[in-house]
Amino acid sequence: MKLTTEQFTALAHELDSVKQQVQQQLGDADARYIRRVLLTQRLSALSGRILMVLGFITPWLWLLGVLLLALAKILDNMEIGHNVLHGQYDWMNDPVLHSKRYEWDIACDAGSWQRTHNFEHHTYTNIIGKDRDFGYGLLRLSNDFRWRLRNLWQGGTYLLLSMLFQWGVSYHELAAQRVFFGKKKADRHSQVSDSELKKAFFGKGARQLIKDYVFFPLIAGPMWLWVLCGNLLANLLRNLWTSTVIFCGHFTKEVYVFSAAECEGESRGQWYYRQMLGSSNFTGPTWLHILTGHLSCQIEHHLFPDIPARHYPAMAKQVQAIAAKYAIPYNTGSFLRQYSTVFLRIMRYSLPGGSKAVKAL
Amino acid sequence: MLGNQSSLTLYLLPLVQRLVPVFLPGQYRARLLCRQWQTADMLQLSFKVSGRWPGFVPGQHLLLTLQHQGRYISRTFSICSPLSLWQSQQQIQLCCKINRAGEFTPLLNQLKNGAVVNISTAQGDFCWPQPATAAVFVAAGSGITPVASMLLSQRHGLAPVSLFYRCRGSENAALLSKLQQLAERQPLFSLTLSDSRTEPAETLQQRLISNSHAKQFYLCGPAAFMQHMRMALTNSGVSATQIRQEQFGLAIAAPAEHSAAGMPLSASFIRAGISTQVKLNPQQSLLQSAEQHGLAPSFGCRMGVCFQCVCDKVSGQVRDMRSGALSGHGAEQIQLCVSQPLTELVIKL
Repeated sequence: MKLTTEQFTALAHELDSVKQQVQQQLGDADARYIRRVLLTQRLSALSGRILMVLGFITPWLWLLGVLLLALAKILDNMEIGHNVLHGQYDWMNDPVLHSKRYEWDIACDAGSWQRTHNFEHHTYTNIIGKDRDFGYGLLRLSNDFRWRLRNLWQGGTYLLLSMLFQWGVSYHELAAQRVFFGKKKADRHSQVSDSELKKAFFGKGARQLIKDYVFFPLIAGPMWLWVLCGNLLANLLRNLWTSTVIFCGHFTKEVYVFSAAECEGESRGQWYYRQMLGSSNFTGPTWLHILTGHLSCQIEHHLFPDIPARHYPAMAKQVQAIAAKYAIPYNTGSFLRQYSTVFLRIMRYSLPGGSKAVKAL
Repeated sequence: MLGNQSSLTLYLLPLVQRLVPVFLPGQYRARLLCRQWQTADMLQLSFKVSGRWPGFVPGQHLLLTLQHQGRYISRTFSICSPLSLWQSQQQIQLCCKINRAGEFTPLLNQLKNGAVVNISTAQGDFCWPQPATAAVFVAAGSGITPVASMLLSQRHGLAPVSLFYRCRGSENAALLSKLQQLAERQPLFSLTLSDSRTEPAETLQQRLISNSHAKQFYLCGPAAFMQHMRMALTNSGVSATQIRQEQFGLAIAAPAEHSAAGMPLSASFIRAGISTQVKLNPQQSLLQSAEQHGLAPSFGCRMGVCFQCVCDKVSGQVRDMRSGALSGHGAEQIQLCVSQPLTELVIKL
């Protein structure tokens, strides 16, 4: 399965040219698209919050409001926030849609996200011990990790993590730096101090809590409990959705993992190769792609994280052809099929033993 | 806070822009009234400016922002029209040198009458204190624009003023007819054309030095031209406080001798948490180098005026392309568009 050095170079060249083709045509259409998504997000957030208060007319309005707010939060989290923070729209030089300025409607501070997700996860994708997104330090997803008693109930842990996903994401960097618990790891170097991490964590978290559970209920007057519950439900729906999408990207059955040693000094071609093996796609209609922030094309996202995501489905066809040419496995399937393998993996490794994840290199 | 953006305006921006497509927070709208070629490459644009625009002091410049292929781009231009035009009709004029190979200025020639663009507040301290004192103005090429605004804004010419206008022949002298009319009207104003094709710079320097009893000098033009003029004036005993100047364009000098000759430099740009290694061209600004490698830092005027491209330098030394000033080696903020690399750099975008 292993490619030769020449093949890796050729692979890098072909994938680079796929990227270049798209880069050259970035322009008005992309700007119009992301502004339309942003407008949709704003309109559904505003109308959702208003409809929730109108729930006294009929609870159906409240329910519609909750769904609209959840939609707004999902769009803000996925198609807008995640992608803007990757710098996909930096070229627009826009006052809102720039990775340096954008802040999103979730508990995680945008700066912390950029360090843990954009840097750690995207650089060291699926390298055991380096990419803490592989199991988030909570779940045992392959026999590369020693079984512990707590893994026995990791099905429940997974459910809890999914329900509180935004807080997991927010706490991710503090956990890595052992800010509150555990012994500091000597080999971890952080760009920011522990006190800055704490400030960002508590600051952003408090703002989110006050907004959804104090401010909006307060201005709703007698409808305060409806609004509070509605906001809770909208956040829950968003958490479950994002967690599900993200788990489908890296923890499906045939996904590959790597060891730190084999990735030492890898070439660009090898990096591309690792990104293709370490990610999985799922298929679906356009609206599904948009709701996932096009992370349904996780492979393309990992190959080209800073290309505006709406191009991924078209690029996927080319990438799949390239994968076939070099006999590189290309992991894709329907949403349900992919998700069921994720769920089975979580369940299987809650028990001791099991096979080691497929090593790639 | 409610919208997770720094202001409510930014949160509502997609809605506002749906209603008013060219709205940009912190900017003002200006509607193009007409375009007129002053010379073969100097295009004069007349704008009707939004009533909220706070006005300008003659000699100041502003940032003009356009949206082109989904992307906001801006350049700085000096206002060339008199204050009275704005006060009476809320109009301003810009005189822009069109660089046909450039990205921005050719777009100005494609603007239709009635098109709306964004302008910033007027900025800059290249101004002539009022009431007017005796002064000598030296302008070269497009450097005439702020000078013309200052001179044409004078209601009463009570102080002796002379203008030395250096250009490639009178056919390449923008705004010349207005200045000639002014010279006819105002006996205390003298206009001298200096043709760069026939008159060597030394002759102009001589003529300036013979004027060095004048109270104040105002220089505006390309960097090299101004360095020459400034040197001649200071050598003949004019103190530095008597000279005010406005630089057009950057003085992209050869990299200072500090960098080892021929040594290729590189920088790590940390953007959105990810570090990208970029080979640097020591002749280019860091902004250009970053853009050529597919990074997209925010930017504005690209000449060190608007401070939109300010970034944290973590380590390494840079040189200010306008003044030649050297930075320290440690952490500090730099403007990417006017910084040349001298050493290996680490920069947070």
